[in-house]
Amino acid sequence: MATDLRISNISKIYPGCVANDNVSLQFKSGKIYALLGENGAGKSTLVKILSGVISPDNGEVFLNEKNLKLSSPLDAKKNKIGMVFQHFNLFETLSVFENLSIDATEDNKSLRVRINEILKKYNFSIDLDIPVLNLSAGQKQKVEIIRCLLRSPKVLIMDEPTSVLTEQETEELFISLKKFCDEGILIIYITHKLKEVLSLCDEVAVMRKGKVVSVSQTQNEKVETLANKMVGQKLAKIKKKINISKNKDEIFKVKHLNFYSDDPFETNLVNLNFSVKKGECLGIAGISGNGQNELFQILSGEIITPDTSIIFRNKEIAKLNPKQRREYLMAFSPEDRISQAAVPELKIYENVALNNFKSSNFFEKGLVNERKIKEHSKKILSDFSVNTDNVELKSQFLSGGNLQKLILGRELITAPELLICYNPTWGLDVGAINYIHETLIKINDQEKSTILISTDTEELLKLSDRIAVIYKGKLSKIMPSEEVTPEKLGVLMGGGSID
Amino acid sequence: MALYFFTPFIAIILTILGGGIIFYILGFNPIEALKFYFITPISNLYGLSELLLKATPLCLIAIGLSFCFKSNNWNIGAEGQLTFGAIVGGGVALLFYNQEGFYILPLVILAGAIGGMIFALIPAVLKTYFNTNEILVSLMLVYVSKLLLDYLVVGPWSNPEGFNFPETRQFSDSSRMPLLFEGLRIHAGIFLALAAVMLSWFILYKTYLGFQIKVSGLSLKTAKYAGFKGKTMILVVFMISGACAGLAGVGEITGPIGQLHRMISPDYGFTAIIVAFLGRLNPFGIIFASLVVALTYLGAETAQIFLQIPKYTGQVFQGMILFFLLASDYLLFFKVKILNLKKNELRH
Repeated sequence: MATDLRISNISKIYPGCVANDNVSLQFKSGKIYALLGENGAGKSTLVKILSGVISPDNGEVFLNEKNLKLSSPLDAKKNKIGMVFQHFNLFETLSVFENLSIDATEDNKSLRVRINEILKKYNFSIDLDIPVLNLSAGQKQKVEIIRCLLRSPKVLIMDEPTSVLTEQETEELFISLKKFCDEGILIIYITHKLKEVLSLCDEVAVMRKGKVVSVSQTQNEKVETLANKMVGQKLAKIKKKINISKNKDEIFKVKHLNFYSDDPFETNLVNLNFSVKKGECLGIAGISGNGQNELFQILSGEIITPDTSIIFRNKEIAKLNPKQRREYLMAFSPEDRISQAAVPELKIYENVALNNFKSSNFFEKGLVNERKIKEHSKKILSDFSVNTDNVELKSQFLSGGNLQKLILGRELITAPELLICYNPTWGLDVGAINYIHETLIKINDQEKSTILISTDTEELLKLSDRIAVIYKGKLSKIMPSEEVTPEKLGVLMGGGSID
Repeated sequence: MALYFFTPFIAIILTILGGGIIFYILGFNPIEALKFYFITPISNLYGLSELLLKATPLCLIAIGLSFCFKSNNWNIGAEGQLTFGAIVGGGVALLFYNQEGFYILPLVILAGAIGGMIFALIPAVLKTYFNTNEILVSLMLVYVSKLLLDYLVVGPWSNPEGFNFPETRQFSDSSRMPLLFEGLRIHAGIFLALAAVMLSWFILYKTYLGFQIKVSGLSLKTAKYAGFKGKTMILVVFMISGACAGLAGVGEITGPIGQLHRMISPDYGFTAIIVAFLGRLNPFGIIFASLVVALTYLGAETAQIFLQIPKYTGQVFQGMILFFLLASDYLLFFKVKILNLKKNELRH
């Protein structure tokens, strides 16, 4: 029986962020659909709406022309919508069979028969009586898939399914998904990996900033066209004047940066080497999830990696923590404003005190010097035109743009020689973006350097003097930005190579 | 924010109501029973003194725990730190059992604090250097210290003239906390608790350490980004917490008890966890909370005498306080809404 799933004018607004903006899409069984977008593009929100975890503010979902009321995950199950989340929902200490029988409605005997049928049909080899903790990530995922299949789903949604799989397991998954598709299950595949879309899916919808920006047949797409759609390339671009002269001093130099993580959700970094000159902006492009998080934390000193050499102003700083690095006049602006760069529950002046640099005297002999911190905060608020002059205000009442101004102000008021920022304009409105771009350009004009890690190609082309692309934890060669075109970046970000 | 400090009161009211219902089901007149529980114990001077006596260790331990809890370190083993503090302090007191001198009591108290501190360092060191879970380690160490105390009072430290009772010699008067009033058991340990309150307020709100504790408690990611020395901080908060529990332990044995035996604490170390949360981890809130919870100890004893119900009802009340506190937090800080109703409203 054919299945037809239609999403009509779905909107979901969170305070300060439009997660889904009037999204309409149509899916028909017999095809595999990709939902492509960066982190924060609104994919997950849409999927959570489809699986009943959250309710939309507006809009409707139709399955075979029937208007679905999805107010809980149970409703999604009843309507035969199955969902495999990126993070598994399994009890590690229970056996596979126990995990599958938890929400089953039939007796154990017939359940076991049905599970065995599924195992045989799709060629899954899983021992039903061993604890889940002994399974590989791929096998755990199969258990989740079996759980969905037991309910004979009409729609199967896979959320970033390959992020924890090996290449072999990924291939196996693709074979199974194609089988399901042939049997008439409608498959929606959520990812930000372009190659997977091209090799697996028939149709692709690209989301950006909460909107669907394109729906197309994958056969008409290439890695770079999809990459451009995903990160939002605009043709008109303003560039800052390139003021780099070849013989300026290298102020910052990274050698043999390697990072291996046991956590399958983290990306390993493989032998990164780069340097930054005085007054230069080095841009690092890439689709999110390719190692930017790890790179930022290593550069800021939150993660210390052995055998890496980081030279800053002729000193080896690879073993120093963020506070010690600040004392050498480095500054950091992380991507996550709300739970890393600042604490929303703290007052503005308390957040300012987080950057407790050497000459600040914020804490004299271990005591808080509140007067000093407040004076300093007032100066930041006025110098960086933050929309308040009340340093006692809790930071949670600042808008994203004002909070980012406060953070940048806090980092920049110490006149650092090097600022490392990661997606500094993420989620901000145009006005705030312009202000922050101007600020970043101004730093370079004052002969201070910046490293800009960003997933926004437009921003990178506008601000960087040289650009490199990070893909799966590896860095491409570093190119002068006048030689870089959006197309070239697109190829590199999708894992391709240019001559 | 006002609600945040208001919910403990709601929790206490609900606990009293819940207690009334339980008494009713057990066949007592609830008003009478509650009166025996909450009024009778403190209706005379002796009762008030007993209330302060019981509140003193609870307050001390809870103050220490607030340092741990505020910085996201879950020290559940204050009872063990209390016991070990009492062992070390008691050991020093026993050394001087036949001597007099003004210097003995300070030495005993100091030994107790250091004992608790060392015992708290075990889970802290294991957590920072070996990534163990401090909840499990600190909890299991409670039983280690209790068994050690058991061994000592039965074996090497037992009173040679004690007819094999599991207890040590009586401490000399120089090892005893001075009593504040003739005929009442309330002793100078209460000043230790009050000093701890003042000092903790100063550390938490006026020092760099306090700032780091606050930030780490709200967001570990931010603490890391700011470059706080996470490991040092964990060690320090555990040491503070252990020292407070050790002081509480030594206050009990040099105060009302006067020797070491098996039952030096009616689980003050565990009950103080409830006190810390009921007091919102705020030094002055903790004073108030320790008085309320101390009353449940007293009430249980009165109820046992007058109503012949087991004194373990005290624990029932303590459990209810925590339960209602968590429940009112949940219900007040999370919006309850009926989704279907809202959807219909949206459509029309």
